[in-house]
Amino acid sequence: MQPLRLLSVEPSDRGSQRCRLGPALMSALGLRLGSPLLVSVPGGSCLCAAWPRADLAEGFLQVDLKCVTPSLIPGLPAPLTLDPGQLSPAPCSKLRGVKVTVVVQSPDFKQHTSPGLVHELVRDMLRGVYVHKGYVVNLEDFKTDIRYVAIDDIGPDSASAGVITSKTGVEITEIQTVQHYRGLLQDQPTAPLGGLEEVRASLREILQLPLLYPHTLTSLGVSCPRGVLLVGPPGVGKTLLVRKVVAEVEAGLVVVRGPEVVGSRPGESEETLRAVFQQARSAAESGACVLFLDELDSLFPRRSGSSAPENRLVAQLLTLMDGMSRGDRFLVVGATNRPDSLDPALRRPGRFDREVIIGAPTPLQRRAILSALCERTPVCPAVNVAELARMTAGYVGADLSALCREAAMHALRESAKGSGQQAVEMKHFQEALKLVGPSCLRGSLGRTELCPVPWEHIGGLEDVKTKLRQSIEWPMRYPEAFVRLGLRRPRGVLLYGPPGCAKTTLVKAAAASSRCAFLSVSGADLYSPYVGDSEKALAQLFREARACAPCLLFLDEIDSLVGSRSNDGAPNGVQARLLSVLLNEMDGVGLKTVERRGGEKVLQAEGAERSRTDVELDFQEVCNKDVMVVAATNRPSCIDSALLRPGRLDHIIYVPPPDLQARLAILKVCTKSMPVDSHVCLEELAAKTELYSGADLANLCKEAALLALLEENMEAESIQHSHFLRSISKMNPSLTTQQISSYLIPSQ
Amino acid sequence: MSNGTCVKTRERVPAEGAQMSLQGALRRSFVALHSQRAVWRSVLEECDPLMESLGNLGEQMRALSRVRVSDTPLRVFPELQERLQVQLLQAADLLLQRLRSRMSHLQSVRDAISNQVSAVLQLYEDAADSLDLAAVTQRCSVIPSLADMLAWLQDAERFYKQQFLQRKTLLQTLRLDDLSQLESVFKRWKILESPDSEQEITDALCRLSFFMESHR
Repeated sequence: MQPLRLLSVEPSDRGSQRCRLGPALMSALGLRLGSPLLVSVPGGSCLCAAWPRADLAEGFLQVDLKCVTPSLIPGLPAPLTLDPGQLSPAPCSKLRGVKVTVVVQSPDFKQHTSPGLVHELVRDMLRGVYVHKGYVVNLEDFKTDIRYVAIDDIGPDSASAGVITSKTGVEITEIQTVQHYRGLLQDQPTAPLGGLEEVRASLREILQLPLLYPHTLTSLGVSCPRGVLLVGPPGVGKTLLVRKVVAEVEAGLVVVRGPEVVGSRPGESEETLRAVFQQARSAAESGACVLFLDELDSLFPRRSGSSAPENRLVAQLLTLMDGMSRGDRFLVVGATNRPDSLDPALRRPGRFDREVIIGAPTPLQRRAILSALCERTPVCPAVNVAELARMTAGYVGADLSALCREAAMHALRESAKGSGQQAVEMKHFQEALKLVGPSCLRGSLGRTELCPVPWEHIGGLEDVKTKLRQSIEWPMRYPEAFVRLGLRRPRGVLLYGPPGCAKTTLVKAAAASSRCAFLSVSGADLYSPYVGDSEKALAQLFREARACAPCLLFLDEIDSLVGSRSNDGAPNGVQARLLSVLLNEMDGVGLKTVERRGGEKVLQAEGAERSRTDVELDFQEVCNKDVMVVAATNRPSCIDSALLRPGRLDHIIYVPPPDLQARLAILKVCTKSMPVDSHVCLEELAAKTELYSGADLANLCKEAALLALLEENMEAESIQHSHFLRSISKMNPSLTTQQISSYLIPSQ
Repeated sequence: MSNGTCVKTRERVPAEGAQMSLQGALRRSFVALHSQRAVWRSVLEECDPLMESLGNLGEQMRALSRVRVSDTPLRVFPELQERLQVQLLQAADLLLQRLRSRMSHLQSVRDAISNQVSAVLQLYEDAADSLDLAAVTQRCSVIPSLADMLAWLQDAERFYKQQFLQRKTLLQTLRLDDLSQLESVFKRWKILESPDSEQEITDALCRLSFFMESHR
């Protein structure tokens, strides 16, 4: 039989429950006029009365959606072709009784209309309608406040469908508002949420307690909390958390979006806000309800002296929140990422009672988020989520979600090329890691792209390398050993030494090998013509670095950046203020509350096995919470002594000018890519280059190569020993003994 | 005009008979619908002035609630405001009572139509075994098909049911203490009229005029 095209219903048939189809199909299905017919469409089904089309054409179907599954209330998906097999006659007997839930438009109607009247109206409206258990009867065509009737149960007879006659008893179990009913229907799967168990539990508690124990709370004289403020950087899942919890406890949700509230006329915004509270209040009558104010800071900023329109809006919110009586059983949840710009009057008990801080996720939380995200994607079992969590320092939930999406896209591209592999593998994640960076570092002034330098590219300086590894790499690699010995990761490392001795290159190598976030800042980033701007920028830099800890923060040429207080410079200069910020950030009293991350440790169930990586992640959290500052200077005497004490820059490492062995090693590294003649004796060169720094040696090799090109007219094949010797004779070492000895004095 | 000219002679005599009797019943129902419609309209016309005065009373109550009698020369009359209020409420009550009696008229119209329709449907149900779909969808220039006529009848019944329930809801949910509701009552009453649906019934009756006159 030919497929049926589904057309929209004729206006005259609206509300008639008719399903218009061709007469041939009707007789093929054995249907009479008005016989009950069950039409299954993708996403739901619909019970209707068969009727021949007025034009008697075959191949078309017009269904009036009077009695449908709840999923079809919004309407049918637009262009649709059905198979005749999707229509089936549904025998309907006369029902003796039916239990229904009535859904009304306005809470006002629900409040003021007597149950008897509702019962009478519903009975009249339902007469002659075919109903099916679990379906919803749409009564919108009556244009009264009664919008839907949900059929909960149909009488004692076992059939699932039937027709309501004047003798059918209609029992109304509940009257709900449309808003509440829609809220109940909208429990479609939301994005997974991981790592926020504690916050979730506390939110749930606040929502559920007044519902579960209303009498206990009133007898104790305890008023339930009315407001919760969620604070956290963008992308950590504040909005998602609220939606998830609301869906879990089956509460109603009233969302306020900023632009919807703000109106152009004076007083309009306040009016809308009052209406929103009224809406929440009426929704709360039929169960728990949450009024969610997203991006609170943009709506209710700190009140200023002038009579800005925001002031009135803030005042309105204050009075509304104060005016919430004990009977109002709804919770106001606000979310913001800039709590400091909120009006302080909002942040007191009685208004936003609780403040929940959701920080950037810790490694354990990241692992939870990643496992939640990977639940629905086919991930190769070889993918180590714990390892992935370790690599994604500074990523928030939104970043991780983007990362998983990108990895899945890579896998998809690969399978499209014909490898046939469907699972997402570790290499896809690594590709994705290159594309998706942590969002807290986006636009950060310290973010630097650096090409990784392996340790081997730095000749000599073995001592220094070991010390750097000890303080940077070890805490990352062996956190359990550090915890076992009660060691703490150093707060800072100062590299000092004569110029050109590879201090900066050493830091690059350390950053590349430690695989943690790397921020570098110079004076150009910090200095600004405005008073106070530089300090703010430095503090902001530290805040960002802490958000994506473990993190290396590199301050090159620290002497010029912050200077010293003991020098005869102006005491209130920018440098002195920057220095004080730096001292505070490195070893201050504590962090701001807004920056709290993670939560208390969750108690493990007895006997629960924990894998080694879990334990390692745990140690990671203990050990690598901080930002490590690496500073470099060639004028250590100009650094303020307060910076040099343990607890700030604990490790002070002298990077000496290269000795004979080191020079040889450096020459070897420098000439690696050069076609050096076999007669060249690097040992002799090393011996002749006393007082040369690493940079000098690199320059020497370059000069020798240029000389070779000059002499042999662009056709040089190799660099001779004589070229090196002549270059040495032309050059002077950049270091002097006097200079070197001056470095040695302060360190002793 | 005779039916024989357009209905093909069939072998199955019971089918023919059932069709004839169903057509007869339909004809009677449509004639009844025609007359009930006139009754409905006349009752509605009676309601209109009543609703208007109800809205008027609402406005008077609003005015009364705004004025402060103690500031006017009328303050010498004791308890004037309360008395006026009571009088207005009494008048409103009287109006509502009269409206309710009109509503019962409307209900009887609706019930009459419903009964007609359900009787015809029952007749079809009884004869359905002998009437196949070809028979119920068969039509000619003067006699619409049985399916169409039944659909029109049902549509008309639905229209009156909807109209009645809407008006009933409006009246029953009216609260005299909600002044803004009371003031706008006439406007809301008028909005309920749906000329389009009524026009459809008129159209159907026009299409049926030959059929209805054929066997008078």
